Amino acid sequence: MGNSISKTLGRLFGSREMKILMLGLDNAGKTTILYKLKLNKIKTSTPTVGFNVETVKYKNVKFNMWDVGGQARLRPLWRHYFPATTALIFVIDSNDDDRLIEAKEELYSIISEKEMEDVVLLVWANKQDLKNAKKPQEISEFLELDRNLKNQQWCVIGSNALTGQGLVEGLSWISNNTNNK
Amino acid sequence: MSSGIYLSDTPIRRAQASGSPLLRKIQRACRMSLPEPDLALNLDVADYINEKQGAAPRDAAIAIVNLINNRDVHTAIFALALLDVLVKNCGYPFHLQISRKEFLNELVKRFPEHPPMRYSKVHRLVLTAIEEWYQTICKHSSYKEDLGYIRDMRRLLKYKGYAFPKIQAEDLAVMRETDQLKTPSEIQKEQEIAQAAKLEELIRRGKPEDLREANKLMKIMAGFKEDNARNAKQTIQTELNKLKRKADLFNEMMSTSASPDVSNETIEELFSALKGAQPKFQKIIEEEHDDDALVQDLLKFNDTVNQLLEKYSLLKIGNSSAASQIHPVAISNTASDQQTNSGALAHEINLLDFGDDNDNATNSGSPAVQTNAINNNTNSAPVDDLLGDLNDLTISTPAPSQNFGVGGSISLGGPSQPTTSTTPANANSLDLLGELSTTTSNTTTTTNNANANSLDLFGDSTTISQQAQSTRILVHQSSTVKIEFELSRETNTTIKLKSYFSNTSTSNLTQLTFLVAIPKSMKLRLLPQSTNELPPLVQNGITQEAWVDNFDVSSVKPLKIKWKLNYMKSGCPAEETAVFTLPKV
Repeated sequence: MGNSISKTLGRLFGSREMKILMLGLDNAGKTTILYKLKLNKIKTSTPTVGFNVETVKYKNVKFNMWDVGGQARLRPLWRHYFPATTALIFVIDSNDDDRLIEAKEELYSIISEKEMEDVVLLVWANKQDLKNAKKPQEISEFLELDRNLKNQQWCVIGSNALTGQGLVEGLSWISNNTNNK
Repeated sequence: MSSGIYLSDTPIRRAQASGSPLLRKIQRACRMSLPEPDLALNLDVADYINEKQGAAPRDAAIAIVNLINNRDVHTAIFALALLDVLVKNCGYPFHLQISRKEFLNELVKRFPEHPPMRYSKVHRLVLTAIEEWYQTICKHSSYKEDLGYIRDMRRLLKYKGYAFPKIQAEDLAVMRETDQLKTPSEIQKEQEIAQAAKLEELIRRGKPEDLREANKLMKIMAGFKEDNARNAKQTIQTELNKLKRKADLFNEMMSTSASPDVSNETIEELFSALKGAQPKFQKIIEEEHDDDALVQDLLKFNDTVNQLLEKYSLLKIGNSSAASQIHPVAISNTASDQQTNSGALAHEINLLDFGDDNDNATNSGSPAVQTNAINNNTNSAPVDDLLGDLNDLTISTPAPSQNFGVGGSISLGGPSQPTTSTTPANANSLDLLGELSTTTSNTTTTTNNANANSLDLFGDSTTISQQAQSTRILVHQSSTVKIEFELSRETNTTIKLKSYFSNTSTSNLTQLTFLVAIPKSMKLRLLPQSTNELPPLVQNGITQEAWVDNFDVSSVKPLKIKWKLNYMKSGCPAEETAVFTLPKV
């Protein structure tokens, strides 16, 4: 009850809260992005076994960001994090050509789930600082989201977790493209 | 809210145009136009939940509790009937939902602060339901520690003066965990469903402590599959041993007289249990074909069961002469079976202890729980023998005033289950245990009441030191510490264990504590360590003496001990543990 009152008040003052699920293959940079956003620091992290949650405030929106480990054996557990998700962020290592197909397959298996059919999808083409990294444009073409996603908002943004480039843009895109519910 | 007639905002007669098929199904099962609770509709809801999982158990629980609080008694009763069906058919994921604090509070929302003179039908049904859960899943579920709020709610109601109806034994039997032989994959699947349900619930709650637990659970789900598989093997062994006993009993009942009464209820039950288990044998063999011992065991047992079943069917058609011809074969077979499985039987008794042990763990809190976790991590297969031993677990610190032996036992005691008394070997350890729980610090009284044998030994052990031969064996060596035992037999039933600890690293080890557990049937006496500090690269820096009583020289089974070493290495706590099998002395 109290919760819903504060939500109503929050709506009056234009502040919102949403659950964001950040997934992607291992070593894509999810945890680095999370802590760059949260602490504005680069935390060298070991591969995430399990998950991290942090609340990131941007303008008047509270993003509850869930970063779930991306190792192969953790991927079957991703679906337990789907309920009540507003936006899915899929992080791709743009420098890892060999595993782009794998990433694409994982992405499609997530968004084909019934629980995820209403979420907005943001793809961060991460590691843009690396010389051989694919450009967001190329990643976008490779993923073929325009052909396969009909009723869903989606967007591919280049990012660099080390400098923070593209991160804020991503969050603001999410807050602009989720209706005030 | 005004009383009297008013239109509720949720018309019950018309199904709400809710999008979810689950809610539609629930509303259909509880609609007022039904003459009585419709089992088919209720089971349909259960099937749907079992198939969907995910949020389905939670959504169902919320929808049902809202219906229970409906002003219409009819609807409420139907909803309670549906709830009952779901609790009995949807397993742990649903149990987890009904044990949520919010759910339980909602369930008793319409209960007045003080019990009314006469309970309404809905009140009575709710009280029955809670009592039933309390008597069954709260006691027998493998995950009963997650269901604590049911217990709390029952206590609260009782405190407020509500009386709970007596539950019929038959009703309780329905909710018992099914004693069935399951294949490893079935066990694993069940485990996965339960873990997934728990993970989702933890994520949903989202409190920091929940998230911490969720993280832990996720690691288990993702990483330690072997661990689960080993648990599965244990479960199979337990069930198999139960079946073997049933087979023995079955055989006995059929052989007692020339023409036994085969329509006897017990015999029929045993028959169906054995018959029902048979198809599983093959499946288990298929899945576990690389475990030779298990496969051999199963094949042999299968033969026995076949013969027993044949005998039964012969008896049933009245052909008792033919049946008696099978007689010797079956007997010899089971006899040899029993022999080979005497080890397995003992093993199972210890598994029973494990349940007992769990009770203790939940009562006594962290220390026991910790060691429990260690058990799960150790890799040696027959750990189960030692699982029951936490009751004997002895902590020793080099405090001079410390009573040695059972003095430092952290056993909360707790009621040991009567089931453990099935073999005489365990009977005396039960005595010991009962004693331990009351006099934890007084060693002398303990030994007085323990069997005479160990009493003698206790008195003599200091004077008698035959020390036939003493050998130094390496128990454990890691990059940090080395543990060695010097073993010697003092009497026919007592061995002496002197342990030496060496520091093989270049850091200083402090606060070193060594914990040892031995099987319950034996008794451990432990002297304090010589010190608890190990400077870098010191050999045999700490020594500790211990005696194990009741370990007979003629015992065939090797003695296994479980040990745990805690220490601080340059300020960081570290822990090493394993199970060690002592050589014969």
